[in-house]
Amino acid sequence: MTTALAPPLLEDTKLGPNAGGLYERLNIWTGLGFGIFLGFVAWVVSHATLQGSNWGTDMVVTCTMLGWVIGFNIGIGTFNAPIRWMLGHDQTHEDELYVAGVGQGRHRYLKYCTDHKVVGTQYLVLVMVLFAVGGTLAMMIRTQLITAHSSFLDPQTYNAIVTVHGMVMIIATIVMVSGPFANFIMPIMIGAKDMAFPRLNAMSFWVIFSAVPCILATFFLGGVNAGWTTYAPLSVQAPPAMDAFAMCIIVFVVSVTVAGVNTIVTVVTMRAKGMTMGRLPIFTWGSIIGAGLGLYAMPAFLLAMTMMITDRVTGTSFFVAAYGGSGWLWENVFWIMGHPEVYVILIPPVAAVLEIASTFARKPVFGYKVAIAGFVAIASLAIMVWAHHMFTTGWAPNLAGPFMLTTELISIPTGIIFLCTIGTLWKGSIWTRLPMYFVYLFIWNFIIGGVTGIYLSDVPADQYFHGDMFVTAHFHYTLLGGAMIGATAAVCYWFPKMSGKMLNERIGKVAFWLIAIGIQVTYFGQFWEGFQGMPRRVAYYDPQFLSANQMSTIGAYTLMAGWLVFLYMMLHGWRNGKIAPANPWHSKTLEWKVPTPVPLENFLVDPVVTSDPYTYGEGVPDGQEVPDFAPSDDPELVPAGSAGSGAQTDAGGDH
Amino acid sequence: MSFEEQVDDIEANTILGGEPFFSRAGGKIFIIWLGFTIVGVLIGVYAPHHLLPTLLSPQGSDVWKTIVVFTVLAAPVAAFVYAVSFYSLFAWRHKGNQDEPPPDAMPQRGNGPMTVVWLAISSLLVVVLLFWGITVWNTQQVTHANTLQVNVTGQQWLWTYSYPGTGVETRTLELPLNRPVEFNITSVDVTHGFWPAVLGVQVDANPNVTTIIRTTPDKLGNFTVRCSQLCGLYHAFMNNKAAVVTPQQFSAWLQGLGATQAAADQTAGISSSASSPTTTLPDATTATPTTVPGETATTLTPDTTAPATTAPATTVPDGSTTTTGPAGIPTTTAPA
Repeated sequence: MTTALAPPLLEDTKLGPNAGGLYERLNIWTGLGFGIFLGFVAWVVSHATLQGSNWGTDMVVTCTMLGWVIGFNIGIGTFNAPIRWMLGHDQTHEDELYVAGVGQGRHRYLKYCTDHKVVGTQYLVLVMVLFAVGGTLAMMIRTQLITAHSSFLDPQTYNAIVTVHGMVMIIATIVMVSGPFANFIMPIMIGAKDMAFPRLNAMSFWVIFSAVPCILATFFLGGVNAGWTTYAPLSVQAPPAMDAFAMCIIVFVVSVTVAGVNTIVTVVTMRAKGMTMGRLPIFTWGSIIGAGLGLYAMPAFLLAMTMMITDRVTGTSFFVAAYGGSGWLWENVFWIMGHPEVYVILIPPVAAVLEIASTFARKPVFGYKVAIAGFVAIASLAIMVWAHHMFTTGWAPNLAGPFMLTTELISIPTGIIFLCTIGTLWKGSIWTRLPMYFVYLFIWNFIIGGVTGIYLSDVPADQYFHGDMFVTAHFHYTLLGGAMIGATAAVCYWFPKMSGKMLNERIGKVAFWLIAIGIQVTYFGQFWEGFQGMPRRVAYYDPQFLSANQMSTIGAYTLMAGWLVFLYMMLHGWRNGKIAPANPWHSKTLEWKVPTPVPLENFLVDPVVTSDPYTYGEGVPDGQEVPDFAPSDDPELVPAGSAGSGAQTDAGGDH
Repeated sequence: MSFEEQVDDIEANTILGGEPFFSRAGGKIFIIWLGFTIVGVLIGVYAPHHLLPTLLSPQGSDVWKTIVVFTVLAAPVAAFVYAVSFYSLFAWRHKGNQDEPPPDAMPQRGNGPMTVVWLAISSLLVVVLLFWGITVWNTQQVTHANTLQVNVTGQQWLWTYSYPGTGVETRTLELPLNRPVEFNITSVDVTHGFWPAVLGVQVDANPNVTTIIRTTPDKLGNFTVRCSQLCGLYHAFMNNKAAVVTPQQFSAWLQGLGATQAAADQTAGISSSASSPTTTLPDATTATPTTVPGETATTLTPDTTAPATTAPATTVPDGSTTTTGPAGIPTTTAPA
């Protein structure tokens, strides 16, 4: 039933028959169809005109991938709006409502949709698919390594799997928090109705979607055998799969750049009245700092891959020593991206962990300004440490000392973030719901990952450990045990707001313990391998490493079981979970003050912001409120069109 | 607050006032911290020795020492974070109805002194670690006269070692005890990683470039050289056996591979006069190496083009006459 005071919801607008124009017919299937079609045309044309040249097959693969990406985006409608604008036939208001998903129910998730909540959900599903692919590849690696000379995989396939596992996981971890949560949650957190560039938001999702088949195609094009770091000159010699890999990266960087710009401009320009930068939730700060660092770093990846393509396709010799090039050039440009990139991965989940710790300790974030300064310091130092990946390459040995200095300095702001986390827990009222479990696991894992990184930053010690499994264990502890567990906490935290259902925490606790124990067993096994001297990226190993590998593989299967249970919990919750109230965690940030499901424009009335969202224990009214015509928890008084109301319309009621 | 209330407040909230230390949160956390620190220190002192293989050079021992020192220094920091986190679960966990949040905790937005102390301690630790690392690194920069030259060539998928002056080229590596050795490493195709792990040194083999690492094996033993940089299909098989042997055994091995006795003895550092033991060279930290008595210095002059402070992994300067380069292996170098 509706209240007399309920304002009309935008999502209830009845659109005319031609609203949306071409968009009515475009969706993921037209995208796939047109992408395959244009890819095929590109293949035929490039094959006919270029195959005879020296680098023919590489050219053909590059052109085919380009055809696929452009074709897919034409087919899903990425270019519609700009082309219409150029033709002087810009989108009408009705078109914009259509493209925002009005009147389409569930179908809008398979279309180009500018609603940031839809884009956020699409990203979440994509991230889960990427983790499933990367995780399956990881299990194939660990299965191969359960004996010293397994016949499960041949070396070329193994190397190709190692490469794609790494790259898919890197893509997944870069977007795992900035995709779902900086898109869905952050605009609501700052009091905005959408992001600054809604069309670019939809574009960034579908562009990254179109990049994924490029990297999966590498398995069918000979496999990239050079690891995700694809060091030259090995990668210059790699099969045509390498061109597909490079195209994936180039397209991916376009997506991430657009998304990063969108995030930052949204926070800078679209905050609600009263929401000063000093009242922003810490998660928002983490999102923009991570996005800013990505804007610095990712173009270097695009540059490196472009040089790789020209070396392979047009005969330049950036990386070919015989003609004056150098593998060291590749390594430098790659790591100028590669190191800041791991902080792009890390900073948003860590900011989410702080946010969650505050809510579940019922205390303000300890040292809010200090934490922000810490994130800024981490991001600034991150751009000055890249050559710690090159201590043993023989390049610029005189720079070993300076890079050791900058790398060890990063541990200071990282330590400050730890102080803020445990300071938030100090004398808090600890509410041990499922998100908080993952906060504690994050703390445990990230200490181990961080400390082992300090061993690697010591140049003499790195001479023993570089290229061996100790490095692998270190970065899995930080990226999986740290960043991904932080993202998992964020999923548990924001699931009720995004899906409208509560997760079953009993199943969640089973998943938690399997994951927690799985991580320790898997990666302590790999530390052991590293101490013993087992190199990375090997399909076969000396039998002396057998016990350590068996330990690691058993741990990996445990970890896999944990993630499967977690996935089951999410699906079960989405389907059969209890209906979630608007603010199940009684948090003070703005996204919890709007109804669940969230209306199209997020806020039915403008929010009123008079303080930051950390007024726990101060005995004052909430400083971030939406003065609603009805309390959002009262099921009798929810706005028309939301779940639980009597009015069952397509728009807004169907999630 | 009244005066009495202020006194009570101060007593309750400062370290020196209020209840006995070990009944308060701070005291209990101290106990937990102590426990974790002791465990961490014990792990740091005993575990690396059992986990690492036998290290055969001072550079290798440096690796072990670094791990011990870093673990012992990191233990208290990690222990503090773990102690506060674990204690929070025991002492401050809300035990009632989990469907409703517990009452708000205290509105503590930060603690300036705590932050400053934390920053100071972590900065001090970083300075100590850096000092340790740079000191160790500098001791490894020292070059010696009378260095054994070994040319290492990486290719897909094996290593080839040659000893200049002897004409010997092999796929296994042997080194004489206590003789400083300088590896000149290059690749004929892609980047490989020359990794004699137990010698504590490693550097990549790059095409068209020679990189150099130096070590002085000081223990006898067998080990394996592996490739540490993914180099294609059979990267996992790019290993070879290696050994540190006595100079006599080394010379005999070289002769078995075709070297003349004179060249073999000279390469092994065995002098022609039997009275002088040739194996006791000054230890690696001395900056002024002495020449071995009886040694003719012609073929094995110190590398005059590389100053004594050159880092172990260097490129041969462009265009220089490579005094260390053997006949027959071209070292066309890329510009630095």
